[in-house]
Amino acid sequence: MSTTLSPTPVVSNADKPATVGVTRPVQRGNIVVRWMTSTDHKIVGYLYIITSVIYFLIGGVMALLIRAQLWAPGMQVLQTKEQYNQMFTMHGTIMLLLVATPLFAGLANALIPLQIGSPDVAFPRLNMLSYWMYFFGSLITVGGFLTPQGSASFGWFAYTPLSNQTFSPGLGSNMWVFGLALGGFASILGAVNFITTIVTMRAPGMTMFRMPIFTWNILVTSILVILVFPVLAAALFALGSDRVFGSHVFDAATGGAILWQHLFWFFGHPEVYILVLPFFGVISEIIPVFSRKPIFGYRTLVYATIAIGALSMTVWAHHMYVTGAVLLPFFALLTMLIAVPTGVKIFNWVGTMFRGSVTFETPMLFALGFVFNFIFGGLTGVIMASPPLDFHLSDTYFIVAHFHYVVVGGIIFGLFGALYFWWPKWTGKMMNERLGQIHFWVFFIGFHAAFLIQHWLGVIGMPRRYATYLPEDGFTWMNQLSTVGSFVMAVSLVPWIINVYITWRYAPKVTVNDPWGSGRSLEWATSCPAPRHNFTSIPRIRSESPAFDLNHPELAPGSIGGPRPTKEIAAKGA
Amino acid sequence: MRANIGLFWFLTGFFLLAAAVYSVWNLLVYGQFEIVGSLGILLSAVLAGFIAFFLNMANRSQAGQVLPEDADTDVDDADPEMGHFSPWSWWPFIVGLSLFFIFLGLAVGIWVTIIGVPLALVAVVGWTYEYYRGNFGH
Repeated sequence: MSTTLSPTPVVSNADKPATVGVTRPVQRGNIVVRWMTSTDHKIVGYLYIITSVIYFLIGGVMALLIRAQLWAPGMQVLQTKEQYNQMFTMHGTIMLLLVATPLFAGLANALIPLQIGSPDVAFPRLNMLSYWMYFFGSLITVGGFLTPQGSASFGWFAYTPLSNQTFSPGLGSNMWVFGLALGGFASILGAVNFITTIVTMRAPGMTMFRMPIFTWNILVTSILVILVFPVLAAALFALGSDRVFGSHVFDAATGGAILWQHLFWFFGHPEVYILVLPFFGVISEIIPVFSRKPIFGYRTLVYATIAIGALSMTVWAHHMYVTGAVLLPFFALLTMLIAVPTGVKIFNWVGTMFRGSVTFETPMLFALGFVFNFIFGGLTGVIMASPPLDFHLSDTYFIVAHFHYVVVGGIIFGLFGALYFWWPKWTGKMMNERLGQIHFWVFFIGFHAAFLIQHWLGVIGMPRRYATYLPEDGFTWMNQLSTVGSFVMAVSLVPWIINVYITWRYAPKVTVNDPWGSGRSLEWATSCPAPRHNFTSIPRIRSESPAFDLNHPELAPGSIGGPRPTKEIAAKGA
Repeated sequence: MRANIGLFWFLTGFFLLAAAVYSVWNLLVYGQFEIVGSLGILLSAVLAGFIAFFLNMANRSQAGQVLPEDADTDVDDADPEMGHFSPWSWWPFIVGLSLFFIFLGLAVGIWVTIIGVPLALVAVVGWTYEYYRGNFGH
């Protein structure tokens, strides 16, 4: 036998060093590496949520310092007014851009593929890159505290010329500008990812009008992100170029002050809807489950979301009434108009609960708290939309009270509702109900004590962002009530943290797909927690509640005695 | 995909209308063109219209046959081959880290950016060719 006849060795994939699907031993280091290198949308979502909750605690400590400083006239807590300026600047920046905006991406990541029946998001590696851009951008932003001059101190909307090199020198301010620019790109890439996922990766049968309301809201939010975050990035780069390279884009001599306000609020107003729309979605998921009824007026909710998204692009200058350089009737009209779709949503949530079998588990309590608080915040919003009233109230504590009612009362209540509601889906353990109820009531009481009084504080004239006030002003007792409320809110987080710990250590494992018993959307049709690519099987999707149809077939569309089949199926004669 | 296309055309129309009303009203009241807002809403219309146009093209190229849009399909009707999903990857972290140096350098001193740029180039190449080498080579 000659050597030429010997068979050439076949190199199969099995002979290559295996890198995919290898089971690695569980060690702490492996967990860190697995999370750092993950492209699983669920882990990316958890990273977002964990990071933003940590920033929420940091920003909360800053809020406590601010409130402690305002307890009595004089500078007792913070040494200088510059420190106070840094505190409120970074409190606002952290809470809006490092907590609430990433929470949108976090919740969307953790839920969207589950809700539309897809194995992952459309661009898994881009998804992880978005997280790292947010993470590193946020490090740059808060890293300003490590510079000798401290962090940025010009307020979170960085009005020029205050934010230029002359009036705010220092590296901390530069780092604020460029850190937020990097974080802004993270939001843009994340939004592109969600839009693509929702448009192209829905499971068969999951038509647009069978998607959960949460997914619809994420779609509209993502569209707003790609419309306005590029404006923010451009404005920040121009400001950074003014500060670092000496350009003159926002030179006050050539109208730069108004230019910055226009650019910033063209981003800034849709931004507040970017923050709150996902939580409208969260509430729309929680309320039907605990009312044991389908959402009332599904299509109206979708159209209201789209209307809010569209209108929010045309109301930015209501933040600029007092400049005297904007078209007051146009912005007043559209701002008041935006209350209509928001009211429609409130009506739908109440309609969902009406004659339902409502029970008051912790997620439902937070959802009800959201609706209650948001009505307060929405109504004061209509007051401020009116220019003559706004001229009196602008830059007072009335404004502070208004936006804390929508941001804390809306987003943070929505966040806790979402955490309690989806905790079993994400971790496989139900959170403790009693501690959750204590958490809710203490938080709710502290919240109203802290912020309701600030409306009156604003009406009698206390301006925002002042480091202190005089005893003769008559602000003292109101400020003290508000400070007590803010510390009660802080205390309410203790039962929550205990709850997280004992749930992690001692709670029994959830063994069913739907621990709440009447979960509606598709994520309740997979295990708790969901496997790597989300589903081992996907049920038939014939309505916006596929998991409910699966678990309660007698009530599914088209079943005998059940509701009538949807229009599309009836038309096909199925 | 029809609903998506409709959504984006609706946004285009609304932004065009808003841009027209806003600029004309401003012109009537102040006698000058308010450049930032008018252009901002107009460009929003362009972006929404561009996405609508692109989705329309994509929809037409598959003759309007999109499984998720069919109200009467089951999961089994779809192609079981969903495409390639990256199992895990180091490159997002490395790209993120190089962007950290680039943006930090813009803020604190340009030499940090100069360190970040080569790292970014390596990271982007590594990201792009991740699934063309080693176990995935072909």
